Amino acid sequence: MKRFSYALVLLALIGLVAAQGLPGVVSSGSYTVGGLGMILQPKPAALSGGTVYRVGAWPLYTAELADGPGKELVMGYCSVCHSVTYITMQPPLKDWAPTVNKMIKTYGAQIPEDAVKQILAYLQAYYSVQTRKQ
Amino acid sequence: MRNHLDRRSLLKLLGAVGAAAVFRPGLAQTSAQAEEALPSFTGPGPNPYWNGVLPFVVYPQKLPLLRLTDRGIQLETPRSYFRTAFTPNEAFYVRYHLDEIPNEIDLATWRLKLEGNFERPMELSFQDLLTQFEPVSIAAVNQCSGNSRSRFQPRVTGGQWGNGAMGNALWTGVRLKDLLKKAGVKAGTVQIQFEGLDRGKGPENLGSGRFMKSLDLNDPVIEETILAYLMNGEPLPMLNGFPIRLVVPGKFATYWLKHVTWIRALTEEDKNFWMATAYRIPDTPNGSTTPEDVAAGRVKTVPIGKVNMPVRSFIIDPDGSYPLVAGLPAKIRGIAFSGHGRVVKVEVSTDGGRTWGIAALGEYYGPYSFRTYEYTWTPKAPGTYVLAVRATDEKGNVQPDTPVWNPGGYLWNKIERQEVVVLAAK
Repeated sequence: MKRFSYALVLLALIGLVAAQGLPGVVSSGSYTVGGLGMILQPKPAALSGGTVYRVGAWPLYTAELADGPGKELVMGYCSVCHSVTYITMQPPLKDWAPTVNKMIKTYGAQIPEDAVKQILAYLQAYYSVQTRKQ
Repeated sequence: MRNHLDRRSLLKLLGAVGAAAVFRPGLAQTSAQAEEALPSFTGPGPNPYWNGVLPFVVYPQKLPLLRLTDRGIQLETPRSYFRTAFTPNEAFYVRYHLDEIPNEIDLATWRLKLEGNFERPMELSFQDLLTQFEPVSIAAVNQCSGNSRSRFQPRVTGGQWGNGAMGNALWTGVRLKDLLKKAGVKAGTVQIQFEGLDRGKGPENLGSGRFMKSLDLNDPVIEETILAYLMNGEPLPMLNGFPIRLVVPGKFATYWLKHVTWIRALTEEDKNFWMATAYRIPDTPNGSTTPEDVAAGRVKTVPIGKVNMPVRSFIIDPDGSYPLVAGLPAKIRGIAFSGHGRVVKVEVSTDGGRTWGIAALGEYYGPYSFRTYEYTWTPKAPGTYVLAVRATDEKGNVQPDTPVWNPGGYLWNKIERQEVVVLAAK
C-alpha cells in the first residue's frame, strides 16, 4: 500500500511537471486511491426454471456502534427486530427515553429493567445532541 | 388515462417507457463530480444536502443506492436518477418496516386472498389476475410519507431521508374495484384492509409483527387504486413488492402495500397500530404543528391517508457539484408532481426566490406522474447564485416557502433551493 502511495505521488509529480507550460492547466494527472472492490458486480443468477421467483440473500451493511459500556446490550436487545443501523441513522437526540420506551411499550421489545437503564445510558453517552460525534 | 386507459394511450405510454429503457438515461449518470466525499452529517441541524448523507450499497435487482438501514431495508434513490419522468426500477427507492422480506416466492402456491365481509370470498392465482381482469395502466408517483424528513427542525426520529424517497413509474395491473366487484362487497363494509408478505420479529398483534393498512370504502381513491404486476413494463423488483403491490394514486406510499396477498372487507374501522397510531398527521390545514402543542397534548390527528400528497418540485441539475460559466447557458432541470392532480406551472428563480421565470414543462403522463421541467439560464456575471423552484398544480396549490413541522416528519414540501457557483470566462 505504501509503495502504491509513493507511486501515486511520483505519478502526480510527473504530471505536474509535464503540465507546466500547457496554457491554462493548473494541474493534471492527479490521481487518488479509490474504493476498489467496495461495490461488486452481481454474478448472473443460476436460473432453475419452474415457478419460483428468487433473489439472493439481503446483504447486511450494519453500522459499527461506538465502543463503550452497554454496547453489547444494545447489540443484543435492539438487534432482535432491527439492525443497529437504526440507531446511527437517527439525528442526535436530546433524549433517547421516548424512543426506547416506544420499542418496549408499542413494539413489544422484552428488555429487563436493568438492561433498559444501561441501554439508555449508552445511547445518551454516544448518540445524544451533546455527545454524538459525526 | 385514469380509469379508462384505452389501448392507444397505453401503447403510447408503454412506448415512452420502452424508449426510456432503450436509452437508459438514468443508468448513464450514476455519479456527479466527486472531488471529495461528502462529510458525515447527522444533525442536530437540518440536513443541507439533496440526498441523505448515506453510503452507497448494492442489493439484488438494484443499482447502487443510499443505505438508511439494512434490516429492515430502507434505501434512498440518488438525485441523478430524477432527470427523467420515469424512475428506473433498479434505482427505485425501498422502504420496509419489518425485516422478514421474501427472498423467494412460488407463483404456483401464491394466492391473492379476498377475505372478510365479501359475498364470495375468493383466492386468485397470479395467472387469474393476468387473464381474468382487464389490465389498466397509470403513471403515478410513489413517495414515502417521510420523504425529506432530515430537513425538519427540530429534527424528529424516523427514517432520515433526503429527497430521494420517491419515484415515478408506469404501473400496470388490475383495478381494485374490479376485484371488489368480483368478490361482492357486502353491506356494512366500512374499510378495505391490505396486507403483504413482509413480517417482523415482534408479536403478531403489534406493529412490530405485521404491517397492514386500510382505505375507507367510500374514499374516491378506491376508484383509481390498482394492484400492479408491472412497473415500467416489467415485473416488480422483489424489493418493490413482487408479485403485486397496491398503487394508490395521489396518496403517500404507506398505503401502497408491497407483496399484497390479503384484501379484507372490514365492518369496523381498522384499529391496528399502522392506522390508529402510526402515520398520523395533525388535523390542521397543512398538517403542521409545534413541539409545544404536541407536548401539551393539544394536537388532534388523522391518518395521513386523509390527505393527498402536497405539490412539490425539485432541482436535479445543476446539483452544485460543478461550476457554471458566465455567458454560457445552463439548463436548470428537474421534476414536479402533486397528489392533487396535474402540475400546470413550474417557476424557477436564479436569485434565491426574489424573482421568478416560467420553466418549460415536459410531456404530460397523467395527473399523478412526475412532470419534467427545463429552464435555460445564462448567468451574466461570476459569483454565487441561489436557484429555487416552485410548482403549482391544477387545483391552484403552490409550494410554500415555509417549513412544515409535525412529530412524524411528514408532508415536507417547502420550496427547494440549490446554490451554484458561476466562473468568470474572461
